[in-house]
Amino acid sequence: MSTRAHWLQLAGSLAVAAVIVAVAIAVVTSKFGSTSAAEREVQEERLEQREESQEERLERREERLEELRDRD
Amino acid sequence: MEDFVDNLTNGNVTEVKVILASVALALAVYQLVLISVGYGKLRPRFLSPRVASVAHRAVGATIATLLVVTAVMCLSYFEVEDNTAHVVAAIALLTVLALKVAIIRRWHSLGRFLPVLGTLVIVLLAITWLTSAGDFLSDS
Repeated sequence: MSTRAHWLQLAGSLAVAAVIVAVAIAVVTSKFGSTSAAEREVQEERLEQREESQEERLERREERLEELRDRD
Repeated sequence: MEDFVDNLTNGNVTEVKVILASVALALAVYQLVLISVGYGKLRPRFLSPRVASVAHRAVGATIATLLVVTAVMCLSYFEVEDNTAHVVAAIALLTVLALKVAIIRRWHSLGRFLPVLGTLVIVLLAITWLTSAGDFLSDS
């Protein structure tokens, strides 16, 4: 077998290994769903923002109620 | 070490571990094909036994590296007593792998045991994967 054929076969074998690695990573990653830390962080941030805006709304309502009581 | 692993994986320690173990398992299956060609059990026209053996050695070194990295992550981040079957299978896997490497590098006279040890590596890797990554993937 020529040296060129030898290197071509070796490169091909390793290329197949690289494809297997890529496919394995893609398949496993697709099964993670929303369990990744990055997605969890985004969800937690959204939740915090929602809670903050709720608190703000409550504070504003209480202020308005106090103003109304003061007027009466 | 725990903080280092946590920073390195950006908090996704389990996910990275599952990916590394799954890649190792997928490559191990490919190793079976390569060594079958290497030993002449399979005779494809496009791959000579000699080249298949060289590729088998290169892919094997990659798998060994992946397994050592995964084991280090596992030991530094997770509690050992959590999953006994996983711990036993993983220790057996690393021991057999070390023995296989020693035979390839130094104890050439024990070369006749390599097929048995290779098979054992695949079986132990499958058990180790099933008791950790497999559980995690089935839960998610």
